[in-house]
Amino acid sequence: MSDNMKEKKEMYILGIESSCDETSAAIVKNGTEEIATVISSQIDIHKEYGGVVPEIASRHHVKNITIVLEECLKKANMKMEDIDAIAITYGPGLIGSLLIGLEAAKTLAFIYHKPLIPVHHIAGHIYANSLVEELKFPLLAVVVSGGHTELIEMKGHYQFQKLGGTLDDAIGECYDKVARVLGLEYPGGPKIDKLAKLGKNTYDLPVPLNDDSYNFSFSGLKSAVINLVHKEEQKGKKINKEDLAASFQNVAVKSITTKVKKAIIEKKMKTVIIAGGVAANQVLREEIKKVTDELHVKLSIPPIQYCTDNATMIAAAGYYAYLDGRVADLTLNSKSQDKLN
Amino acid sequence: MKILYIDTSSSYLYAAIVEENKIKKQIKKEFGHTLSEKALPEIVKLFEESKVTPEEIEKIIVVNGPGSFTGIRIGITIAKVYAWSRNIPITTISALEAMALSSKQKTYHVPIIDARRGFVFSAIYDKENQPILSPKHIKMDELIQKLEEIKDYIVITNDEIELISKKESYDPDILKIVMRAQEKEIINPHAVNPEYLKLTEAEERKQS
Repeated sequence: MSDNMKEKKEMYILGIESSCDETSAAIVKNGTEEIATVISSQIDIHKEYGGVVPEIASRHHVKNITIVLEECLKKANMKMEDIDAIAITYGPGLIGSLLIGLEAAKTLAFIYHKPLIPVHHIAGHIYANSLVEELKFPLLAVVVSGGHTELIEMKGHYQFQKLGGTLDDAIGECYDKVARVLGLEYPGGPKIDKLAKLGKNTYDLPVPLNDDSYNFSFSGLKSAVINLVHKEEQKGKKINKEDLAASFQNVAVKSITTKVKKAIIEKKMKTVIIAGGVAANQVLREEIKKVTDELHVKLSIPPIQYCTDNATMIAAAGYYAYLDGRVADLTLNSKSQDKLN
Repeated sequence: MKILYIDTSSSYLYAAIVEENKIKKQIKKEFGHTLSEKALPEIVKLFEESKVTPEEIEKIIVVNGPGSFTGIRIGITIAKVYAWSRNIPITTISALEAMALSSKQKTYHVPIIDARRGFVFSAIYDKENQPILSPKHIKMDELIQKLEEIKDYIVITNDEIELISKKESYDPDILKIVMRAQEKEIINPHAVNPEYLKLTEAEERKQS
């Protein structure tokens, strides 16, 4: 860190995120205070294809990038010269999508001589919580999204230790696939949550990977739902969608909470945070809350707007990454896969 | 006036800083899959070697395709973010027109970029480099038919086009390209986008 930065009490970071189908820019002060956020979502475009089409996503990112940046600066009433550093999601995500944000960030870092801070997308989801309250360690981060299902232990800022994760599909991916079987429109995950509220846990589904590890598996559960639907159809029986949604959700959430409980006890966690798009799921929130209440640990969940992909969380994480000395040069490349460390 | 030229529409990076109708420094290098990582550092080197600061650039000219989808987006993103943030004029030129302009032969110019599955991106320009056939995603067979009517032509390509013998490889005459682009309209940076000349496969499937 330069002496100049050390003396400076206020650090404004411009975050840029384009890892999937949201083009976003945000300015965050000192990793905790949101100054401005702009998110341009492509969800309505990809809906027509039943999922995110990578090439279409990349085309829209390049169309939107400067508009999003301009709106963000306008909202903050700031100029590029007022920004202290640029934080960018370098991965994981869709490579073509990541590249747009990355090239934009690199270009701005070059023109304005600003430090470029590489941020792992999952670190961003975790640090979405620091926009709400200060993180307290040791901390268990439950990362649940369309691309991730991971339990991460943190003993301090920017110290990530993966305890376990999914061996196949991510939980959000599983929700979307089950939603498709139930005839719900993409993105189906949130719709299952709604539907489940109207149903009862009547269908018998196996709790996946009910073992001693911190890992998860969701492809078996997805197949179990598909098989069940087929069998009932063959028997000429009508599926009760509400009940199936409730039964599925019960099992999916239980597989998470079981391992969360195990991690809190074994690793003596003080705080649990839920991060990622699926953190918006009501039942998952409630069930994890039951566990943390029972074990008297603190639970922190970011508000819904910080759960889905956004650049605010990237700018927040970027601050702590910067304090940890993580600055990249302009050869930084995007990565579709990368370990969080 | 100092102008920055960027073309990342193929596996090559072509870039230059042009001042008062002279090339201060240029890059012509093949990078292939590492273009995304190398493009900007190479451009930075261009600035350093020509002793120009980013603040001194007064105009940007960027090739907007056709070509590699990812490649075009790299150059376009750098160029539009640059022009937007510095509030300087920007304009685009087609990769095919750039190829035609660079040929020294006094014939019709036929730039070809392989688009796979029997298709190419191509256009036909006359001896004065006026378009006879505007840039298109076209079947190779169809293009060959059109060329039979012309006879007096040269193909400019960096791809392996086996069916044609009258061809030369593409070595951009950046100064000539920049001069031509200077005559083109200035575009709002937000509206600077790639010309893919082809829908995505998902869109094509949906249409059919």
